[in-house]
Amino acid sequence: MVKRLVLFSMMLVLPVTMIGCATTSELEKVQAEQKLINAKAEQAMQDAQAAKAAADEAKLQADATSARAETAIQAAEERERIADEKARMAEAAFQKSMRK
Amino acid sequence: MFRPFTPPRMAPWLFPLLLSTFIFALPGCTSLRHSLWRPPLAPDGEIERNRFTVAKGEDVIGQLAEIRLEKGDTLAGIARHFGLGLNAVSAANPEVDIWVPKAGERILLPLNFILPDTPRNGIVVNLATMRLFHFQRDGAVLALSTYPVGIGTEEKPTPMGRMRVARKATRPTWYVPVSIAQAHRKKGDILPAAVPPGPDNPLGDYALYLSKQGYLIHGTNKPASIGLKATNGCMRLYPENIATLFRETPINTPVLIINQPYLLGQRNGILYLEAHTPLEDSGVAELARINAKLRAMEKESGRTLDWQKIRQIQAEARGIPVPILALEAAKGAGAEKPVAIRHPGRLLGSPELPGLKLDAWYVLAAEVQDELDARRLAAIINHQGPPIPAQVLPAGKGHRVLAGPFKDAGEARKAVKRLKIDLELDGIMIEPVRKG
Repeated sequence: MVKRLVLFSMMLVLPVTMIGCATTSELEKVQAEQKLINAKAEQAMQDAQAAKAAADEAKLQADATSARAETAIQAAEERERIADEKARMAEAAFQKSMRK
Repeated sequence: MFRPFTPPRMAPWLFPLLLSTFIFALPGCTSLRHSLWRPPLAPDGEIERNRFTVAKGEDVIGQLAEIRLEKGDTLAGIARHFGLGLNAVSAANPEVDIWVPKAGERILLPLNFILPDTPRNGIVVNLATMRLFHFQRDGAVLALSTYPVGIGTEEKPTPMGRMRVARKATRPTWYVPVSIAQAHRKKGDILPAAVPPGPDNPLGDYALYLSKQGYLIHGTNKPASIGLKATNGCMRLYPENIATLFRETPINTPVLIINQPYLLGQRNGILYLEAHTPLEDSGVAELARINAKLRAMEKESGRTLDWQKIRQIQAEARGIPVPILALEAAKGAGAEKPVAIRHPGRLLGSPELPGLKLDAWYVLAAEVQDELDARRLAAIINHQGPPIPAQVLPAGKGHRVLAGPFKDAGEARKAVKRLKIDLELDGIMIEPVRKG
């Protein structure tokens, strides 16, 4: 009877122990994975921050370039206006000079 | 003994090389042909400028042409060479600089015209288009000579209406009108009471005196003014045109002066519309008149006109007949292709530009920063009447416009005076370089 009881107990304890062991290793595995993911997240965050900084910098540069382009366009338009005005004035002077 | 032909031996790698070279060359040849091949250019003498025969029932004469500009060309020079007014060439090519156009630029020569809506008899001058039409009937043939004209200013417009040629004179004397004498006196220029024939006479070599007192059709010593509103009411022609008109116009020829900025006419079953910038204060009435005419035609023909296109033609006012309706079913109302004209090299009446001479007098007309401004001013000075030779010299970062050479101080002084009176430029006389 005792033998039976021992055998029964062993049959009960062994799987429980085994389950317990499995849970621990799994926990360790999960923890390791979490650590890894955290590290990855940290890296991703850093990357994202770096990308945002780069994007911000690029936007600043684009804005500056756009402003410069705007200024250049305005300057070109002004030059064109002045050139047109000069041409118009020259034409008016010419037409006047063609009178008797 | 007969021996069959055996091709020469070639290295095994040579055949594929030759084949691939041939294949690659094929599209190359095609694109080269596309880029280089153009229809042959017509010699400039082949395009009719002034003389036409008017077919019965037709209102459009001549052909639209185009030319590629060369270095040093001006629209004024091109206009004269092709018997056009400066207004016409300028309106047809609104984006092109009159005095310093780009070499290689293609411009349109509006050498096609819609005849004005008048009886086809004697001389008809359309002020809006600044063009004179001289109709001469010889039996069943209606011959037409047409020339560009310069007309009166806004202050002194050319009078409209019916008149006739009262008398003719070669080498006329110009009796200076009081108003012109006063205007010149204000600028410090005292004109004589009468200017004899010669280069300073603004009437040129021929004059047709009209029955309306004080108004003439005459030549000019300022050919660049043809196509401008620059006279005191007279009508000026290029020297070469007035010579022909004078010869072909008998006394008592009827003269009709009109203002028709919008012209309608047909040729080969196609209806054309030609629009010009209207003279002051006449635009609205003339537009209403032509639109009423178009609406009446639309109603009569039962066809719908493209009013958007019509409004665009009227707004652009390029002075070129544009097809607006095919009156016959088979005809397409597509635009006529301009005839490409070969550049003649030297343009008729273009100013002579003598080289620099150390022993001559010059006048510094202006110092300007921009080369384009300098070239424009030099071109304008070159096109004065009588012409004043002018050229551009680079000087440091800017440019100098130099008038001359003049043979003596007197000539240079006269140029200084003319630059001041005509162009309000303060010229500085430059002495010749003394040798030794």
